[in-house]
Amino acid sequence: MNAIRRWMPEWLSPTALGLFAGAVAALHFLPRAVELSPYDHNQITLAFVFIAAALAWNWLGGFVGQVSFGHSAMFGVGGFVAARLILTATALPFWLTWLAGGAIAGLYALAWGHPTLRLRGPYFSIATIGVGEATRLLLTYWTQFTGGVSGLMLPINPDLKYSLYWYGLYFLALVAAASYVLRHSRLGLGLLAIKSDVDAAADVGVGVVFCQDLVLFLSGAVLGVAGGFYASYFSFIEPNDMFGFDRSISFVLMAVIGGVGTVFGPVLGAIVFVLLRQFLIASYPQLYLGLYGVLLIVVVLFEPLGLSGLIFRLTRRLRTLRAAR
Amino acid sequence: MTQQALLEVRDIVVAYGDIEVLHALSFDIREGEIVTLLGSNGAGKTTTLRAIAGIRRPRSGEILYRGQSLLRIAASARAELGISLVPEGRELWHQLTVRENLELGAYGQTARRKSAANLNRVFHLFPRLLERERQLAGSLSGGEQQMCAIGRALMSEPKLLMLDEPSLGLAPIMVEQVFKVIAQLHASGITLLLVEQNLKKALEIAHRGYVIETGRIKIQGSSAELSCNESIRAAYLGL
Amino acid sequence: MNILRVEKLSKSFGGLRAVDSVSLELARGEILGVIGPNGAGKTTLFSMIAGSLTPTSGSVYLQERRVSGLPANRVVRAGVVRTHQIVRPFNNLTVLENVMVAAMFGAVARGLQPRAVALEALSFVGLADRAQQYPHGLTLVGRKRLELARALATQPQALLLDEVIAGLNPVEAIEMTKLIRVIRDQRSISIIIIEHILAALMSISDRVAVLDYGKKIAEGKPAEVVKNPLVIEAYLGEPQKTGSESTSRSDGGPAQ
Repeated sequence: MNAIRRWMPEWLSPTALGLFAGAVAALHFLPRAVELSPYDHNQITLAFVFIAAALAWNWLGGFVGQVSFGHSAMFGVGGFVAARLILTATALPFWLTWLAGGAIAGLYALAWGHPTLRLRGPYFSIATIGVGEATRLLLTYWTQFTGGVSGLMLPINPDLKYSLYWYGLYFLALVAAASYVLRHSRLGLGLLAIKSDVDAAADVGVGVVFCQDLVLFLSGAVLGVAGGFYASYFSFIEPNDMFGFDRSISFVLMAVIGGVGTVFGPVLGAIVFVLLRQFLIASYPQLYLGLYGVLLIVVVLFEPLGLSGLIFRLTRRLRTLRAAR
Repeated sequence: MTQQALLEVRDIVVAYGDIEVLHALSFDIREGEIVTLLGSNGAGKTTTLRAIAGIRRPRSGEILYRGQSLLRIAASARAELGISLVPEGRELWHQLTVRENLELGAYGQTARRKSAANLNRVFHLFPRLLERERQLAGSLSGGEQQMCAIGRALMSEPKLLMLDEPSLGLAPIMVEQVFKVIAQLHASGITLLLVEQNLKKALEIAHRGYVIETGRIKIQGSSAELSCNESIRAAYLGL
Repeated sequence: MNILRVEKLSKSFGGLRAVDSVSLELARGEILGVIGPNGAGKTTLFSMIAGSLTPTSGSVYLQERRVSGLPANRVVRAGVVRTHQIVRPFNNLTVLENVMVAAMFGAVARGLQPRAVALEALSFVGLADRAQQYPHGLTLVGRKRLELARALATQPQALLLDEVIAGLNPVEAIEMTKLIRVIRDQRSISIIIIEHILAALMSISDRVAVLDYGKKIAEGKPAEVVKNPLVIEAYLGEPQKTGSESTSRSDGGPAQ
């Protein structure tokens, strides 16, 4: 055991690594071990992508502390770039179109984000609302690229959807690992310093602009890849769905309810989000939005770290109880 | 002739959450005195002033003002009774003018009626403030801000004026002026409770002093006694 | 050779000239005191030297290399760091993490582990036993020491201290003053210090510069500066003594 510990970097917890590997393995074999209905199989596939998107949103919103209400812009840009490539460059494997979508989305995030991050806190957030909406309007009108309100139809590949499960799983695994590494890395510490006091961070040598730009790009790129995945999954995308404000809000909700700024929080939040939507949208379609609103208020008032915060409190209480005995 | 103390603090315990900051602190102030509280940062001096002003509620103990318990009286009502606080760091409203800051000092019912008269008195005491009447408080220099904060506290016609580190961050020339004003206020009949890091100035002006350490009174005496006290001398006046 | 050279540095905010053509030199191993009334432009001067504020005109040279116009984080890496008048710890990080940020980002990597640099800085200021605490659990002197440790962890050549002694009681002030002297003596760091606590400032400064309304009105050895009538009028108020002496009145009565 010690031999393994020696080549592991000191910030990497063996427990975390073990849990991570275990979870990935379990999920990898799940569809073969358990009889999943096609519906459930597909829902889990989608969930993987949303969890990844929430994790990436959290890099900017939670680690740096700059809350973006416009991340659907990158989701949509990535989706449409990927879709366009699928339609025009048919020789390209689909996952490469996702990567292209991600790269363009990341650059787009950098383009609007670099100047906008001079604004801090609520002012930045308000600006991102504008960015999201402007992107939606612009691309809706750019019919040659997005097909306008009718959107883009992609060739349906019936075998593909089943295997997307594993593409989604490993995409999520990559993003989750990146999230953990980021949080525990030198850059992660710098981001937390920026979140706490951006001027003081610069005053001790943190390259604020570079760090923020890096996070903008990475966060945007992951959202772009997620958009590409979404396009392949549904074989159809349209601007209002991709760029909608409610889609931007969903990323915020998932991270905040789960625990904004924590590594694992967005995973919890995204799972809750997807489950709630599944159960409510059938019977009470209007209710689920209201329920999110209530959850958000509860989080803000009582437990700023959301579900993660509750878990921390529980484990702490259990620990003090055990110590007292 | 023994005077009834203007202010009696008896065994107050003040805590922030789980952390007890003042442990059964007791002292008193007689009418017409200048009393100074000395001690390290975190010793509990500001907390003591806040407890008397009504901003911080003691967990136990008693605070008597002219024999009357203050514990159930809200901070705003205590201002009407004549207890005024000039907080550490001034806490002026930087976006409001000097005049507006002063007027807000006379917020209570009784004070509001005499607002105009008191405003004149404050301007008479601080001619500089009259010059800068319409300037934003945030644009004043440190010393002027301190004058404005004291002026604001005077608007409610205090009998007991508490000052928390009035010399903090001030140039020596301004420190002189602030202490001249404090002496003038004393001469006009106001009782003063002073928290100060500038020991030289504090012991020059005060009649009596208490040294607070980790929430308890460690040393007390007249300012003469304190100046001669070996431990204080060695530690504090060696600078 | 001079570590730092400030040449005709000016800063205007709209119509207000906060710093007016100030020139200074900091010799290697020197402690330069800066005094002046509130609003005289001292902190603005520091902000320009450290790079958090862009000068309206003028230049700053670190070992004859121009640093004015560089962003703050680049100035830190070049070797100049400042502390803040009102301390600004990273409240969401532990004491150790606070200093590690500085060691990781502010120091030019010389093969030293950031953690080791941080721990060393913490034990130097006496906060090693509080490494895992959060800044809100520290008293004011603790937070001032944290601010100092953070600055030291960037391994600077020049250190700008902004009212690091204000608000401390005399015992703490003496300790802090000693610490500053040790920083210069043992670590070969040159220091510019802004302070209102005259006794402290005069006792450690080799030279003193005086600012008033953004201009430098006097400069020289502490003993000369306190006798300067301009300085007395603008800042000191009454003839000050620079040495320590007994100040108690014999009758202990209040000043009239």
